[in-house]
Amino acid sequence: MNAKSILPFIDVTVHAFKEMFGVELEAKSPYLMRKDTPMDWEISGVIGIAGEARGVVVLSFQEDLAVALTGRLLGKKKAGMDEDVIDTVGEVVNIIAGNAKQGLEDSRLQISLPSIVMGRNHQVVWPSSTIPIIGIPFTSLYGDFHLSVGLESLVL
Amino acid sequence: MRFLVVDDSRIMRNILKNTLIRLKFKSDDFLEASNGEEAYGILMKEKIDILLLDWNMPTLNGLELVKRLRAMPSYKDLPILMVTSEAAKYNVIEAVKAGVTDYLVKPVTEKNLEDKLNRIFQRKKA
Repeated sequence: MNAKSILPFIDVTVHAFKEMFGVELEAKSPYLMRKDTPMDWEISGVIGIAGEARGVVVLSFQEDLAVALTGRLLGKKKAGMDEDVIDTVGEVVNIIAGNAKQGLEDSRLQISLPSIVMGRNHQVVWPSSTIPIIGIPFTSLYGDFHLSVGLESLVL
Repeated sequence: MRFLVVDDSRIMRNILKNTLIRLKFKSDDFLEASNGEEAYGILMKEKIDILLLDWNMPTLNGLELVKRLRAMPSYKDLPILMVTSEAAKYNVIEAVKAGVTDYLVKPVTEKNLEDKLNRIFQRKKA
């Protein structure tokens, strides 16, 4: 996967956070993740990609940021993790994966329903394959989060 | 004007309903469903004026519901606004071929929802 393939994911993430939460983001330098790259996040939304290319999109937060973003979306402060927060993380990763398809129209892709993984320092283990996984750290005034994207059959 | 809001995300259904209320639609004019099958059941029992429909949902997805409804003469003119994260052109074409009235890519803003609804209502009047 080359830089051109990762750009749609960065662009749609920045756009989605601005439109949904009114939050400006800064994307840090994308990096190639290793299978054992440590994850110190507390909630992740996972979307599978199928079709002319297989892949996965993972959006990971600390609980505090996920709760704060949900509060911004609902227009009321949230006390802690609940169904709304889980729903929000699922919806955001769904929007990122679905919107990014617009910039990847060389391949016809289908996205799965989102799954949520929770737990302090949970690991998302990538399957043994040749699909490169790109990590993109994002920062905002409200906290940091991480987007991981793996997609095959795109120009290397 | 009675809306049926269909999305597997409860928070998205609430956002759509709250946005419609800000656009001066009455809060008791909404029914909701979390998938296509549930929406189909409601449509068979209730009079609905417009359907706001997500694409990716469990059991019966939005596209399959559109195809099922358009095959029934009594639903061939029901306004259907697909509200989805699916932004690829081939997805829009597929939805239009299946019979959606219009297509709105998430994230939804008050302005783009209002524009789409105005277009649908104007087309209905014409």
